Amino acid sequence: MSLLRSRLAKGVVTTAALALTVGISGCGAAGGEQTEGPTRQFEADNGTVEIPQDPKRVVATGYAVPTLIEANAPLVGISSWERGEPLMSDEDLKTYKDLPRVAGETAAETNYDAIAEQDPDLIVIGVPKPIFGEIDAERLESIAPVVAVGPEVPSAWREVSQKQADAAGALEKFDEVKNAYESKADELKQKYADVLPDLELAHVGGYGEAENGNFQREFDGSWGTNIANDIGAKYYGEVEEKGKGSRAVSEYPSLEELPSAMREADAITYTVDADGSAPQPVKYAMDSNLWKNLPAVKKDMTFPIKYTEAATYGQAQQTLEALDETFAPLLKK
Amino acid sequence: MTSAPPASPPTARTARPVVLAVGLVALFAACVASVAVGSRAVPLGELWRALADFDPLSGDHLVVRDIRLPRTLLGVAVGAALAVGGALIQTLSRNPLAEPGILGVTHGAGFALTVGAALGLAGSTVSQLGLGVVGSVLATALVYAVGRHSTLRLLLAGVAFSAVLMGVSLGIRLMSPDTLDKYRFWSVGSLAGREQTDLTVPLVAIGVALVGALVIARSLNAVALGDTVAHTLGANVARVRTLTLVLITVLAGAATAVAGPILFVGLIVPHLLRRLTVGSVPWLVGLSAVVGPVLMLVADTIARVLLDTGEVPVAIVTAFLGGPMLIWVVRRYGAGSL
Repeated sequence: MSLLRSRLAKGVVTTAALALTVGISGCGAAGGEQTEGPTRQFEADNGTVEIPQDPKRVVATGYAVPTLIEANAPLVGISSWERGEPLMSDEDLKTYKDLPRVAGETAAETNYDAIAEQDPDLIVIGVPKPIFGEIDAERLESIAPVVAVGPEVPSAWREVSQKQADAAGALEKFDEVKNAYESKADELKQKYADVLPDLELAHVGGYGEAENGNFQREFDGSWGTNIANDIGAKYYGEVEEKGKGSRAVSEYPSLEELPSAMREADAITYTVDADGSAPQPVKYAMDSNLWKNLPAVKKDMTFPIKYTEAATYGQAQQTLEALDETFAPLLKK
Repeated sequence: MTSAPPASPPTARTARPVVLAVGLVALFAACVASVAVGSRAVPLGELWRALADFDPLSGDHLVVRDIRLPRTLLGVAVGAALAVGGALIQTLSRNPLAEPGILGVTHGAGFALTVGAALGLAGSTVSQLGLGVVGSVLATALVYAVGRHSTLRLLLAGVAFSAVLMGVSLGIRLMSPDTLDKYRFWSVGSLAGREQTDLTVPLVAIGVALVGALVIARSLNAVALGDTVAHTLGANVARVRTLTLVLITVLAGAATAVAGPILFVGLIVPHLLRRLTVGSVPWLVGLSAVVGPVLMLVADTIARVLLDTGEVPVAIVTAFLGGPMLIWVVRRYGAGSL
């Protein structure tokens, strides 16, 4: 009886919510702009926002740029996203270059007039929550409904990109690419099932600060490790003092601590640029005699990983290919 | 401008050798602390063995020999260069607020680094070093070309040119986040992360310039009394001034290029020693070469252990130590001592 009452109550609430949604549809967005056509409620980092069900003119910034290009969303303006260029397919790169720029690389470089000029019906801001505070949200909301969906930790690109594609009404192509990624990841997981899960791995990341004498150690779920995690790689240990965001999965110890940080590792992976060269922070660690003395280095168990900045399923497929290439010698050992 | 320095009192003259001896002992202690303290705990016995009986397979020995020892030597060189550079410019300009950067050295290096970063030329530590040296030398040469006829004009040219370089650099950095990112680490001043860079050239340059400073210090005694008196005493004011400026440029330029802008050492150390060395530029220069490294190494050692989360750039610690010291000097001896 109580179960029935509960279901009934849920039904009433659902009906009321539906009626409210239908009633609101076409009556205006959260911002000052009128939104044409049916709308829906969308949960974003900036709260519940009323957005068009089928947006036609979308502006994207930050992490939303590569995601929505890849998902064939109806984009009319984007922010600059130079860090993702090496990972874009030729077709996506052409789209990226052809679209009007409405913001620079940082939130502070948002050009509100340029956004308004594009007359969008939806603005998708793909920056982490603290960065969203740097944007004049009120001003943007006066142009079109604004949804902020940004990652809190590096591995969150999966959920974040899905949400961004959902907001922009571009889930169809998104799901297609996501499925392709998951199939490829499963395939590699099987391929390396006998070698990868048995290894205690450590990773040297590309965001260390050589100028401060430190290196970046990344654990499970960080930039350099989260895609490798999908094929069965396990990075031992955890951040000594967990911080917020990426500081929960990576830390920046002094180079002096390189031996104690990586002595136990059976194998070490490290971030490299798209051309295969080690970025300066990684080179700083690798050029030290402390590195050369590590057991994994002496056993030649070091593996470079390209495309660790991947933040979409399409880009992450390139990372999977890079991981397959780098880990291939493990199958012969 | 301050008045010409009075003759040194007898008590100061007798105290100088004592202060020099104490300074050398403090320098030795600061060097030991700098080699002993770091994020990795190294037993004291291993410190000695790392120096006397090095084992290339020992992590402790590698930390001491490859990281801490080069860093300590760098701290000694940079501290001495900045302190002696400060002593020279304050003496030459007879201005207690002068520090080596006033001739455009710091902002010249910063400008060159900013432009280099914007053009993609500042990717490695070596290239940053080269840019710092080139920027320092060019900026000082330009300032000298404009203000060579009088010390006051020289300082004004330095201040004006520094302001221009600072403004243009800031504009470039604001337009380019990547450039700002490259600059921000350099701009705070640090001795960390330099151990893999070949610093032979800047360190030799600093060594030679320090010897040059000691040699020219006697002639600066006369110049410190004012141009007219110096002429009367037979000093070649123009030559002494030019040589001193060259030495200041080499000292401050090399130090800034390798460690970034660490301003307070060049300002505070000569003040700490001024009352003791009044009337003797050679003693001021000699003691600055000892006390400067002590301040730098103490600040750098504190910088390593101050926070659990990681190192604090040494320039911030020198400012924290130097500020109260400067206030103490002013309160203890009055502005006249400056």
